[in-house]
Amino acid sequence: MALHRWQPIGVASLLAVAGIVVGVAASLAFTTGSLGAAAAMTPRCTTGPLSVLPVLSGSTVTSVTIATVPSTCGGATLRATVSNGVTAGSGSATVAAGGGSVTVPIVGGPALGVGIETDLILEGP
Amino acid sequence: MTRSTLSRTVVRSTLVLGALALVVGIGSSGVTGSAASLWLVSAALTPYRTCTLTATPATTAVVADAEVRQSTPTSNFGTTAALTLTSSGSANGRAYIRFDLVACSPAIPASATIRLATLRLYLSAASAACRTLDIFRVTTAWTETGLTWNNQPFGISLNNPPTASRSDSFDAGTPVGCENRTAGTYAVGATVTTDVAAFVGGSATNLGWMIRDDAEGSGTARTTTFSAKQLGTLAQAPQLVVTYVVAP
Repeated sequence: MALHRWQPIGVASLLAVAGIVVGVAASLAFTTGSLGAAAAMTPRCTTGPLSVLPVLSGSTVTSVTIATVPSTCGGATLRATVSNGVTAGSGSATVAAGGGSVTVPIVGGPALGVGIETDLILEGP
Repeated sequence: MTRSTLSRTVVRSTLVLGALALVVGIGSSGVTGSAASLWLVSAALTPYRTCTLTATPATTAVVADAEVRQSTPTSNFGTTAALTLTSSGSANGRAYIRFDLVACSPAIPASATIRLATLRLYLSAASAACRTLDIFRVTTAWTETGLTWNNQPFGISLNNPPTASRSDSFDAGTPVGCENRTAGTYAVGATVTTDVAAFVGGSATNLGWMIRDDAEGSGTARTTTFSAKQLGTLAQAPQLVVTYVVAP
């Protein structure tokens, strides 16, 4: 009797496990174009050096200039966040088709201190 | 499992009746995702992080800079407002500079891949001749207020260390064709990526760099001047810009 009480839970668990397997397979199918079997591939538009320079107005960072963006990143959205540990500002810009230099205006940019951190994400193309 | 941080990437997992649905979206807050989540987003996102160290204020200990002068070999010039590189007979001058990478916040992980490290110096006066300026990684300790020509890490011999051992070089001078012709702007071309990678990775100790004219002892005095930390002008302060990625 006690066994019967647990049967629905057992069936549900099996369904859940099966579902997870199906679900994972579905997600792998979703990303098959980017993933090898058991090995991650990172088809980013660049892994090369990017020159990142803050542009100041007085002591405030008002934009960030990213140079040497390759043409493979053309059309990507470049998001930047600049932080001095106290204040952080952010902004975004689109990389031109041919790549090159991109200036990202920073809204609410921090004052330039001895150390500032700039996080960049190239989204796409 | 290795964990990597992707700012602005939100990965949500939803388990509904055994069906695993993975939703990847872009949000406004940073999260820490697992390697598994990196798999899901790496195809579309390229994360970079840059630490910019700036010699400000003029009293900061994060940056140390000093020049040494052959003409006054026992004097210290760690508090001067300029870093002057001179090639002139027996009156040569060099500059030393060091940035404490510990000031980067968050700290650059030892496992980080350094994509680019650039030493930025503000060219306040250029020579009438195009001069090649060499950057050497320093391997002996020095202090800003104790450094002199006579006790400098590389010794007092001219054109030492040899050009071949330099980390990088760049040109400065007013003639057409010179890499940095215009005074009143940051010089370009000083790349120290390999050195910074060694500092971060722990294979070398960060004792900064020495910069000298590639051909010391010139018969005609040639002087190139950069703004020093002690000038106290933010827009001219020496900088080290390090761009890196945490994930390979």
